Amino acid sequence: MELNAIKDVFDHVTKKQKVSTSTSQEVIEDIVQEIQNAIDSIKACPDSQLGCKSVLSELKRKLQEIAPLSQLEDAQKELNVALSKYLKVLDKSLWPDISKAYRHVEFDTHTINQIIASHFYRQGLFDIGDCFINESGETESDAASMRLLFSEMYQILEAMKGLNLEPALNWVAANSDKLEGNGSDLQLKLHSLQFVEILQNGCKNQALNYARTNFASFSAKHMAEIQKLMTCLLWAGKLDRCPYPEIMTTTNWHTTAEELTRQFCNFLGQSYESPLSVTIAAGIQGLPPLLKFMTLMTAKSQEWQSMKQLPVPVDLDKDFQFHSVFVCPVSKDQSTDENPPMLMTCGHVLCKQTINKMSKNSTKTFKCPYCPCGDIDAMQCRQLHF
Amino acid sequence: MEIDPPQNGAASTNSPNVTTPVTATTTATTAAAAAAAATITVPSSKLAQLTESIKLEHQFLRVPFEHYKKTIRANHRSVEKEVSSVISGVSEVAASDFSNEDAVNHLTSLVSRLQGLKRKLEEGSRTENLQAQRCRARLDHLGSVDVENISEWNNTRLKRILVDYMLRMSYYDTAVKLAESSNIQVLDLLVLVGLVIPSCAFCHGSPLTFQYLYLVVSVFQLNAPKPKKYYLSINYATILGCHNNSFYVVQILFEPKQWDYLVDQFKQEFCKLYGMTLEPLLNIYLQAGLSALKTPNCYEDDCTREDPLSQKSFRKLALPLPYSKQHHSKLVCYITKELMDTENPPQVLPNGYVYSTKALKEMSENNNGKITCPRTGLVCDYKELVKAYIS
Repeated sequence: MELNAIKDVFDHVTKKQKVSTSTSQEVIEDIVQEIQNAIDSIKACPDSQLGCKSVLSELKRKLQEIAPLSQLEDAQKELNVALSKYLKVLDKSLWPDISKAYRHVEFDTHTINQIIASHFYRQGLFDIGDCFINESGETESDAASMRLLFSEMYQILEAMKGLNLEPALNWVAANSDKLEGNGSDLQLKLHSLQFVEILQNGCKNQALNYARTNFASFSAKHMAEIQKLMTCLLWAGKLDRCPYPEIMTTTNWHTTAEELTRQFCNFLGQSYESPLSVTIAAGIQGLPPLLKFMTLMTAKSQEWQSMKQLPVPVDLDKDFQFHSVFVCPVSKDQSTDENPPMLMTCGHVLCKQTINKMSKNSTKTFKCPYCPCGDIDAMQCRQLHF
Repeated sequence: MEIDPPQNGAASTNSPNVTTPVTATTTATTAAAAAAAATITVPSSKLAQLTESIKLEHQFLRVPFEHYKKTIRANHRSVEKEVSSVISGVSEVAASDFSNEDAVNHLTSLVSRLQGLKRKLEEGSRTENLQAQRCRARLDHLGSVDVENISEWNNTRLKRILVDYMLRMSYYDTAVKLAESSNIQVLDLLVLVGLVIPSCAFCHGSPLTFQYLYLVVSVFQLNAPKPKKYYLSINYATILGCHNNSFYVVQILFEPKQWDYLVDQFKQEFCKLYGMTLEPLLNIYLQAGLSALKTPNCYEDDCTREDPLSQKSFRKLALPLPYSKQHHSKLVCYITKELMDTENPPQVLPNGYVYSTKALKEMSENNNGKITCPRTGLVCDYKELVKAYIS
């Protein structure tokens, strides 16, 4: 990637900087040397006023010969060339001004601050969140409630990091109905972690007891899983050699913690990812095409401030697809309530307006533009709901 | 062991054997499946995206470089000045009628002056090297991103963006805390601090009621080639003087509007000088992101909560922004929230409602071939479904 080219140019800058510094040092050293020589020769013949004069004019001549200022200037000039070249390379290989595609609208600071504070809390950065609330003066805030909601979750996760499952187990026990309704097997996952933990400590009986009390309720749905775990009882004390090494991997802890986070957020009515992270990530993907457009269409930059829809398609990753968008392949319009997508008898989908146009307002049959199927009757097209 | 906070696209290992009965309320678990599916495909398009996103980091590289450049210039100027004054000192001695002893004294003082300069030069070059290192650290950071560490890297980037915001808004303590929390001290995120804080001090808590205001600007920011230039462009601002080359005192015939205007001007010039964007990075990315995410569906009641635009605050920010544009249909299954494509094509129920093949298959397997539409309650046979072809 171009980054290496940038690095090379930067190396050149530092090289020139070092050259310039050593030139300065040499020049100074030379001058010192010359003056020192002059001092020595004056001292050598203390009484000769004439000699002193000639020494001084000799010194002056020598300094002119060294031409320290032009030496310094030359070195600096080269350095300057390198410096401006680096800036040029930066401008060329990166977007010099990413605010080019910025729409100048009032972005309410209070709202942004609330979003940021909530983000800190939901990421578990409570200290930073508190500090931010203080500093920004956003005391009356929705973020405070966010803090409450998420502090319990992070306590549980924190405990899990310390291999303490108790808070997590308490939480799932309290919410077991809801979890079951969701079809989540989080409870079993946590219990099996705890079971393996006990087993690893070598207490076979304790593990057996634990299994008896806790696994029974899951036997209907997760028999295979439980059987595996019970087999492991035989390997107590030498679990590393048991036939199911996967039950001991640390990724189990990761996935369980992740699942817990997911369920917890779900119960809180919160998204799994921080909405700020999602939006910024989408922005980073969406900005380059917008910048490209702005560079190509400088004439349109005035219009940009008032456009109702982005002028260029911005393709985001799957992770950012939260809604179905139907674009009629013929008219390229996005479907709306008035212009919904319609399924033709052949299975292809167009929007209503297009079908109206092709069927001359349902007065005649038409041919599907995407397959050989002719004789499509507009009346038989069905509206779709995505 | 360590459990990372939830990160974008980080859901890498979701146990594939989660057999969840599919109902409309399983948003969370199904989103997990979607995320897991998304991370399986990490191919070249991800890398291309990465390259594109690095191109947005102009400010990140430019700011420390401007610092570096400034130090180089300042060092050079001081060397030049001293050397030329030593040379003229020599000429003076040569031209005068000093006694030998006086001449020697003069010359000796010149030598010690040069010795002092040498020390200063060494110090200056140390600073230069330090700043060069800082520039390089940032270059290296940009180069360090690859497919494996991308989620962590993205996390860091968000923190960088937030630090930028904090500094611009003069939330200094938060900025410091955040920078420290992220283990990226190498990047010296706070390089911006010295730069931005003074400019912000203008806007916050400045007394607006005085007849005359004294605006003190540390020349640290202003010893750009021609500092005065920036002030001469401002009406009503008079440069009273400069003291010791470290402070400019600007007196303004005061009017609240003029004050705002001045603050604005200053900020603009300041940002331009250091290659910073006028707006906080956060605002720029937020805007682009909101526009890219904004669809008419976002404002409906059944908007999934995974969509940032389901939240009031985000909706508010997005209100004046344009909707996203798509050239091709992107269909998301209502049940699984997964993308419906050729591998998981959409199927149509007799009532016109569309769901993904995957969801419907699973539902019919669990219900003896029967399908219940989660939105209308219609019950039908799996055989009654027809495929829809979306191009």
